[in-house]
Amino acid sequence: MITRLLFTVSFTTLSAFAQRGLKDIPDPDPVKQAAAFNLPEGMEIQLVASDPMIAKPVQMNFDSQGRIWLVSSGMYPHIVPGAEENDKVLILEDTNGDGVADKRTVFADDLHIPTAVLPADGGAYVANSTEIIFLKDTDGDGKADHRRVVLSGFGTEDTHHLVHTFEQGPDGMLYFLQSIYIHSHLETPYGVRRLMGGGVWHFRPETQRAEILSKGLINPWGFIFDEHGQTFATDGAGGQGINDIFPRSVFRTSPGAQRIVDGLNPGQPKLCGLEILSGSHIPEKLRGVLIAPDFRGHRINAYRLTPEGSSYKSTRIDDFLSSSHRAFRPIDVKMGPDGALYIADWYNPIIQHGEVDFRDERRDHSRGRIWRVTFKDRPLVEKKNFSQSSIEDLVVHLLSKERVHREQARSELRTRNRGEVLAILNTWNGKLTEDFARMQFMWTYQALNHTPVGLIKSLIASDDPRYRAAALRVIYHRHEEVPGAAEIVKKAINDDNGRVRLWAVSCLAQMPGPDSVPTALQALDHPVDKTMDFALWSIVREHQEHWAPRFEAGKPVFGDKLPHLIFAMKALGKSLSLESIFTSVNNGSLTPTERKDAISVISQVGSASDLSRLLKLAPKEPAILEQLVTAAQIRKLQPKSGKEQLLPFLDSDQPAIFASAAKLAGLWKFAPARDKLVTAFTQSPAKRQAAAEGLRLFGDQETIKLFVKLSKDSPDEATRAIAVKELARIAPDRAAASAVALLQKDTAGKDEHGLFSSFLQSTRASTSLAKALKDKTLPTKIATLGLQRAGTSGRPPKDLMAALQTAGNLKPMSQQLSAAEMAKLVDRVRQEGDAHRGETIYRRTDLQCTACHAIGGVGSPIGPDLVSIGASAPVDYLITSLLNPNDKIKEGYHTTLVSEKNGNAHTGGLVSESDTEVVLRDYAGKMNRIARADIKNITISPVSMMPPGLTAGLREDQFVDLVRFLSELGKDGDFKVSAKPIIRDWKVLQPHPRTVDGMGHYGTAVFAERFEGYQWQPYGSKVGGELVPSELPKVKGRGRNTWGVARFGITQKGKVKLKINDTTLLDLFAGKKEIDLPEKGPAIIELTGNEDPEHFTLAVNSAYRQTPVLLELVTE
Amino acid sequence: MKKFWLSLLSITLPASAVTFEDNDTVVLLGNTVIERAQKYGHLETAISLSAGKNNLKFRNLGWSGDTVFGTARSYFGPPKEGFDRLKSDLTELKPNVVIVCYGAVAAFDGEKGLPEFISGYETLLSMIKSSAAPREIVIVSPPPAESLGAPMPDMAKHNKRLALYSEALGDLAAKHKLRFADFFTTLGSSKGLTDNGLHFTSEGYQTASPKFVEALGLTLATGNQLQSEHARKLREATVAKNKLFFFRWRPANETYLRLFRKHEQGNNVRELPMFDPLIAEAEKEIEALKKTTLSLK
Repeated sequence: MITRLLFTVSFTTLSAFAQRGLKDIPDPDPVKQAAAFNLPEGMEIQLVASDPMIAKPVQMNFDSQGRIWLVSSGMYPHIVPGAEENDKVLILEDTNGDGVADKRTVFADDLHIPTAVLPADGGAYVANSTEIIFLKDTDGDGKADHRRVVLSGFGTEDTHHLVHTFEQGPDGMLYFLQSIYIHSHLETPYGVRRLMGGGVWHFRPETQRAEILSKGLINPWGFIFDEHGQTFATDGAGGQGINDIFPRSVFRTSPGAQRIVDGLNPGQPKLCGLEILSGSHIPEKLRGVLIAPDFRGHRINAYRLTPEGSSYKSTRIDDFLSSSHRAFRPIDVKMGPDGALYIADWYNPIIQHGEVDFRDERRDHSRGRIWRVTFKDRPLVEKKNFSQSSIEDLVVHLLSKERVHREQARSELRTRNRGEVLAILNTWNGKLTEDFARMQFMWTYQALNHTPVGLIKSLIASDDPRYRAAALRVIYHRHEEVPGAAEIVKKAINDDNGRVRLWAVSCLAQMPGPDSVPTALQALDHPVDKTMDFALWSIVREHQEHWAPRFEAGKPVFGDKLPHLIFAMKALGKSLSLESIFTSVNNGSLTPTERKDAISVISQVGSASDLSRLLKLAPKEPAILEQLVTAAQIRKLQPKSGKEQLLPFLDSDQPAIFASAAKLAGLWKFAPARDKLVTAFTQSPAKRQAAAEGLRLFGDQETIKLFVKLSKDSPDEATRAIAVKELARIAPDRAAASAVALLQKDTAGKDEHGLFSSFLQSTRASTSLAKALKDKTLPTKIATLGLQRAGTSGRPPKDLMAALQTAGNLKPMSQQLSAAEMAKLVDRVRQEGDAHRGETIYRRTDLQCTACHAIGGVGSPIGPDLVSIGASAPVDYLITSLLNPNDKIKEGYHTTLVSEKNGNAHTGGLVSESDTEVVLRDYAGKMNRIARADIKNITISPVSMMPPGLTAGLREDQFVDLVRFLSELGKDGDFKVSAKPIIRDWKVLQPHPRTVDGMGHYGTAVFAERFEGYQWQPYGSKVGGELVPSELPKVKGRGRNTWGVARFGITQKGKVKLKINDTTLLDLFAGKKEIDLPEKGPAIIELTGNEDPEHFTLAVNSAYRQTPVLLELVTE
Repeated sequence: MKKFWLSLLSITLPASAVTFEDNDTVVLLGNTVIERAQKYGHLETAISLSAGKNNLKFRNLGWSGDTVFGTARSYFGPPKEGFDRLKSDLTELKPNVVIVCYGAVAAFDGEKGLPEFISGYETLLSMIKSSAAPREIVIVSPPPAESLGAPMPDMAKHNKRLALYSEALGDLAAKHKLRFADFFTTLGSSKGLTDNGLHFTSEGYQTASPKFVEALGLTLATGNQLQSEHARKLREATVAKNKLFFFRWRPANETYLRLFRKHEQGNNVRELPMFDPLIAEAEKEIEALKKTTLSLK
C-alpha cells in the first residue's frame, strides 16, 4: 500500500507557523563563521567589525580619510507601532592599522530603514525611506547636528526596494537606484521627475538637477563605474548577471516598457552589490574582474567583461569566495583605502520579508559583520587620510596608480575652495600627455561642475575607443557648454568602434533637433547589434516630433537611405506616407532582406489602401498574408479593396498559407470565402483546424449551426472536438454538453484538443461548462487537469472548479499543514531526503517542473530560475510553495490579467506593452498578443501561474526527496551550478520512424542530417551538467539499440577545445562531419565554435551506456 | 470679459478669515511644500496657535510631486488610482477644514497647461465636497520660487508662471465661493528660505509659516508665544505626532499590507490601527502644550 501525500486541511495562524525550524539557526560566533569560508589559494579573510559594534549593515562607503561609513537597520522590515526610529549611520576606524576596526562613532541614530550612505561634500548623503537627506557635523563632535532634506518623494511600497546603492561618479554626481515596486516623484527646479519601477538616477548637488539614467531591473542593488567611466549594475532578483547601464537603457519589469535590453549573463544567481577589483594589492589575474555577492548562495561570484560590438560580453569565472555558513549574507563589496576588499555581511538566516513574516522570530535584528579580504605575500596599498592634504597634493593623487586614491582625492577636492582647485588644475594644462591622465583631469573638472572643453576635445581624438567613449559621456551631460558638440557627435556616429557609436546616439538623444534622428540612423551603416538596435529604436520614438512631421511634409529626411527610413517607420509604428517605400518595392531595387523589411513596415504602419496594395503582392510573397492577419487582429485594419484576391489562397495545398488565408477570411468576414472553409473543415484533416478557426471568426448564426451539428454528429472525434472548442468561444452554452461527452472519454487526461482553454476564456463559457457537468462524472486525470488549468487562470472560476471536483470525485487541492505537521515534514526532509533521487523526480516530465522553471538559465523562462532557491529559502517555504503556490509568488512573476471588452480574459506573464498591443506569455510559454483596442483593463492577479496540486501524485518519500533537492540548490555541494563553461542547453531528437532504416545505411550520421521531419525539443542538463543517456528520448536503431541524440551550439568564436568525460558508445558531428573520437575514455578535441544551437550533434547509445555525458569547454 | 466678471465676483466675497471650530479635523493637502511641513512642524504650529480653537486635529496629506489629479498617490495602477486613494483617505478622515495648496508642479507646464490644471482642480473640489463635505475648503496659491544664483537656475520665468497660476486660483476660489489664501503674494519675493529654489528649509518654514497664516486671514499668535520654549516643545510634539500619523496612513510595505501581495504578508496590516491610540495620546500632549504656550502674552 502506497502512502500518498494527503494532508488534512487545517487552519493555523501564521504566528504559530513562524515558530517552526528555529533550531536551524547557525552558530553566530564570528570565529566559527570565519572557519566556514571556502577561500581560493592565497586569499585570506579577517573580521573587521562585528556585533555588537555594528548591526545589520545595508551599505558601506569609504570617506577621504579612509574610514568606513555604513548604514545599519535593525528596524527592517517594518516599524513596530510605538517603537522609536533608531536606525544608524556608523563610522568605523582602524586607528592602529591592524585591519580591525577599533573605533566606532554613531554619526546618526534616528533614521528609518536607511538603505544607503555616501560620505561626501563634508557630510553624508543618506537614503532615509521617502527621502534622501544630507547630514553634517558642524561642531566637530563626530555626531551629525545638521539635517537637510535633499530630495523627497521616493516610494516605500516595499522596504527592500527603497532608494538605495549610492555611488559617487567620477563626474562628482550622486548616483542612486530604486527597485521594482517603488514609484518616485521628485520636484526639482527643472520640473517634476517621475520614475515608476526600478531605475538609476543621477543628481548634481550644485545645480539640484536630478535625472533618470536608466529604467527597469527588479532589485538593482549593485552599481559601478569601470576604470573608463562605463556603468554596470547587478540585480538582486533579475538573475541576468551584469547589466550594461547606458543612458536611456530600459530593462525588464520597467512599467509600460515596450522593449527592453537584456542583462549580459542570463540565468545567473541573483546578486547584491558590485565592485571591480583594482589596485596593486590585487593579484594581476584578478584585476578588472567584477565581483558581486550571491547573497542567497553565501558566495561571491566573479565575471570578466570584454568589449563586444556596442556593448560587452560578460563571462562568469570561478567564484571569488564562498561560505558554508547559512547566515553569511554578503550584500556589499567595496575596495578599501588599503587596497583590500571589504565585504558587508547582513548576517541573517532570513533574507527578506516578502515571503517570510515581518515578525518571524528567526529574523535577526542585531548582528552584522564586515570582512576584509587580502592576499598572502602581497603588500597592501598605503592608506591615506586626505582630509589634511593640500590641494596640490590631492591633485597629484588624481594620477595615482591606485584607483582608491584617485577617487578619495577627487571626492576630497569637492569640499575645497572651488576657485583655488580650478586654478591649480589649470596649471597642469599642457603637461598632461597621457590619455589616462587627461581623463582623470576631465572627470575632476566635471566633478567641480566645470566643463573642460580642451580635454574633452583631446580625448575625443584618442586612438583608444575607451577614452573617446569617456569624452562622449561628458558631452552627454554638458553638451550645451561644449562648442562644436554637434560636430563631434556627428563624427562619432561613424566611429569605427561600436561602443563609441552607441555613446554618439546617447548624446544625440540629449540634443533633439531636425538632424538628431537622421544622424543617429547613420549607425545603421555599421554593424548593428541588439544594444545599438535598442538605442536607435528609442531615439526614433523619443524624437519623433522632430522628424516625422518634416517627413510627412515631403522633406527628404533620410536622404536616399531607404533602410534608414524603414527602420525609423518600423520603430515608430505609426502610419506615415509610404510612397517612397512602395516605389522601391515595386521597382525591384531592394535586396531580399530590405524587401522583407519594407513589406513588414507597410503592414505595420500602412493605411487600408496601403494594405490593398500589399495584398496585390501576396501571390509572389505569401508571407504577406500573416502580416495582414496581424494588421486585422491588432490594428483592426483591413485592405480597402480587392479582398477577392484572397480566394486562390484558400485552394493552396500548403497548410501554412491556407491557415493564414482562413484566418483572414474570418477576420474580414469575407462571405465569398465561406464555402471553401466549410469544405476544408469537413473534408480535409490537414486543414480542418485552421478552417474551423476561420469560420469561428465569422461568428455568425450559420457558423454556430454548423459547429453544433458537427459537434454532435460527426463520426470523427477530432472534428467533434474542434467544433466544440471553436463553438465554446462564440456560443459556449451550446458547446458545453458535447464538451462533457468528449472529456468523459479522455482517460489519458491530456486534453489534447485544448477544450479547457476555450472554456476558460470567459465567465460565460466556464459557467456553461460547470452547468453541463452537473450530475456527470469525469475520469480523475482529466478532472485534475481541468482543476489545475482553472486554478491558474487569472480569475479562477469557482463554479467550474467545484463542478470539476464533484465530477472527478477529487479531494480539495489546497493543502494547509498544521505547525506540527510542517515541523515533522521539515525534519523528514533533513533526515531522509535524497537530493539525487529528488533531481530525477524534478526532471520527470509528468511533474511539469522543467516546463516552467530553469536552473542556472537552462530550461524554461516562464517561472523563476531556481538556481539558488535552496540557499535562500527555508525548507518550510519550499514545502508551502509546492503545496500552495499562491501563497508565495516571486517578485516579477505575478500573473497579469487582461480583461477584454467582450468579457474574455487572458492571463500570463507580461512580456511587453505598447500603444497598440499587450503581449502575455501563458502557462505553456505561448505568446498571446492582445490588441489594445480590445482591452478593458489590466490588473496584477494574486494568482500564481504555478498550478496547485502538481505534487499530489507523489508518494510522501518522493515529495521529501524533491524538497531535499530544491533545498540543496545553490548551496555548496553537488547542486550549485558551477561557473565552468559546460554545455547545458540541448535540443533532443524525438523518436522518428526513418532512423531505424537510416541507421542501417548511414550509421549515426543519419542523426546529423538536416532532415525537416525531425523534431527537436529543448532539453537541459542536470544541475551538475551531465546528460543521462537513459533519460533521453529513446530513438530506435538496429536491433535492441536505442540512441539518445542531442544537438548543441558553442557561442565562443574561433577554435575551441571541448573536453568529453568519456567517449564510450558516443559519436559527435560538427554539421554533417563526424569528429574522430577515441573508442573510450576521456578526450579533448578541437572544434570551430558555431552558435547555431543545432550545429553539433551528439549521439549516445542509451541501450548500453549508463555513464552520463559531460561536455566542457576548456579555457586557457 | 469673463475674467472681468470673475474679478467682480471676488470683490463681492467677504475677505474674512478661515473659520475653525473646536475639535475640527484639518487636512493639509498638496505637494512637496505641504509634505515636508510635517517634518518641521512650524506651519502646523503657527496655524494651530493662531486658530483660537481647542483640540484641532491636523492631518497632513501632502505628497511630493503630487498634482490636483493625485498623480503621485498611485502605486501600481493608472494615475487615477492616486485620486481614488485620496478620495478614500478623505472619506475616512471626514475633515471639517481642507486646506489645499497645489499649482507648484503644474506651473512648469506654463500657460498651455492652465486649463487642464483648473478643470482638474474643479474635479478635485467636487470630490472633496462629496467625500468629506467639509465646512471649509481653502484654496492656497503656491509659494514663489527663489533664484539662488549660478549655478542654480534663474527662476524668474517660473515665477511668472506661478503668478499666472495663482491669479487663476483666485478666480477659481471666487467662482466656487471658496476662501482663497494668496500665499504667493503674502510671501512675496524671498531669498534663502529654500536650498533648491522650491522647498523650504527648517528656517524657511519658520519664516514662511506666519505668512501662510496671514494668507489664511488669521491673526497671528504673538511673537512671544511663537518663539517661546513652549512653542518649541509644541513643535517637537507635533512632529512626533505627524510621524505616527504618517506610519498609519502611508505605511511602508503597502504592496504586502494592502496590495497585490497581501495574501503573503497582509496579516501584518493588523498593526496599523495600533498607531491610533498613540496618535490620540500625542494629541492630548499637543493640546496641553498649546494651552501653555497661549497662556503667554
